[in-house]
Amino acid sequence: MKRYPVVIGATAAGLAGVLSFHSSSAHPLTNSVKVAKDAGKGPATTTPPTTTSPKVTQPTSPGSKNVPTTTTTTTTAPSAGPSTATGTAEQYGYGVLSVRVTASGAKITAVQVARLQTADSYSQQIANQVIPYLRREVLSLQSARINGISGATYTSEAYALSVQSALDRLHHK
Amino acid sequence: MAHVEQAMGTVFSFTVYAGAVSHTRAREAVGDACALLHRLDAVFSTWDRQSPMSRVRRGELALADAPSEVGDVLGLCTTAKELSGGWFDPWAMPGGVDPTGLVKGWAIERALDVVRVSGVQAALLNGGGDIAAHGEPEPGQPWRIGIRHPWRVDALACIVAVRRSVATSGSYERGPHLVDPHSGRAMPAAASATVTGPSLAMADALATALAVGGDDVLARLTGLKDYDGYLIRADGTEASTPDMAFVD
Repeated sequence: MKRYPVVIGATAAGLAGVLSFHSSSAHPLTNSVKVAKDAGKGPATTTPPTTTSPKVTQPTSPGSKNVPTTTTTTTTAPSAGPSTATGTAEQYGYGVLSVRVTASGAKITAVQVARLQTADSYSQQIANQVIPYLRREVLSLQSARINGISGATYTSEAYALSVQSALDRLHHK
Repeated sequence: MAHVEQAMGTVFSFTVYAGAVSHTRAREAVGDACALLHRLDAVFSTWDRQSPMSRVRRGELALADAPSEVGDVLGLCTTAKELSGGWFDPWAMPGGVDPTGLVKGWAIERALDVVRVSGVQAALLNGGGDIAAHGEPEPGQPWRIGIRHPWRVDALACIVAVRRSVATSGSYERGPHLVDPHSGRAMPAAASATVTGPSLAMADALATALAVGGDDVLARLTGLKDYDGYLIRADGTEASTPDMAFVD
């Protein structure tokens, strides 16, 4: 699954225009926020300025002015600079997927796969694949700039939910 | 901005480029669109046995007494049945008329309309892999939509340029849920069937038909001016209408 981070990278490009997120009321989120900073785990995470503030960075885009001030949680995210949160692990039909979102202010700067587990049954399915692959060379997502995926039910749902929960943990509400 | 909403047993993700419209206004429009999705879900749910659609299916509720959307959708189903040569046929489903193959696309189209009329520059609404689009993410650049590879989770089969809508149906992930309307049996479907065109309601239904009817439906799509199709057959071979907008 070496390609997977790239898959998400490509999708992250589709999120480049993201300015602020609105929380989904229907989304069952864990409220016991497990923070937030995965410092050192991902290349997109940079060392935040030292601060004692328990606040999470507030969005600064004009559209986010009405965002309520942050609540204090168990988070140790800084009051300025990039902060990172890992989304919930979501089932995606062939396994489990979770993503890590890095944001600077209201802007998402990186979305990466934090965890990807593929079910044995899927590996087995691939191993048993007797149907010839497509004539067209399989398009890896490494160079694919895309805005969305059609026909991607479980995988895209897991991705979207994990991203949303990561953003909620960053208080992009 | 982006927003994720759960409804109709799937996930809807909005991508909105507000442009000249304030982000507050864009967010309001997305909120209104979500409210519409939930309302339509309540009308059309076939899981909720008390929904108007379920009652119509059982013959307990006359069409004239149901919310007007039910009649609208069934009217579109009639059109889709004709265009598909009968390969899309909600009236051939077990358990009574079932417009499920069209209604999600229709609901997404309606919800995107709510966002569109707010005046935002561009917007994309992806509901479980069925996508309605408005505007262009960048001037002169249509939306680029990857078509999921039918047998690999980590790859795309291709990328298509989408101006209005795209729907993909297939036997993967959710199992062989397609029914041959001519025989009433679950049948081995095409591996993947994609339709693009101006209306996502119609594209959704035609993709369902293409997945079941294969090359016969593809030939019909070639005869339609506004719709294009891309088929991956069960043996992995591919075919498309001549004008399908593949991009690199």
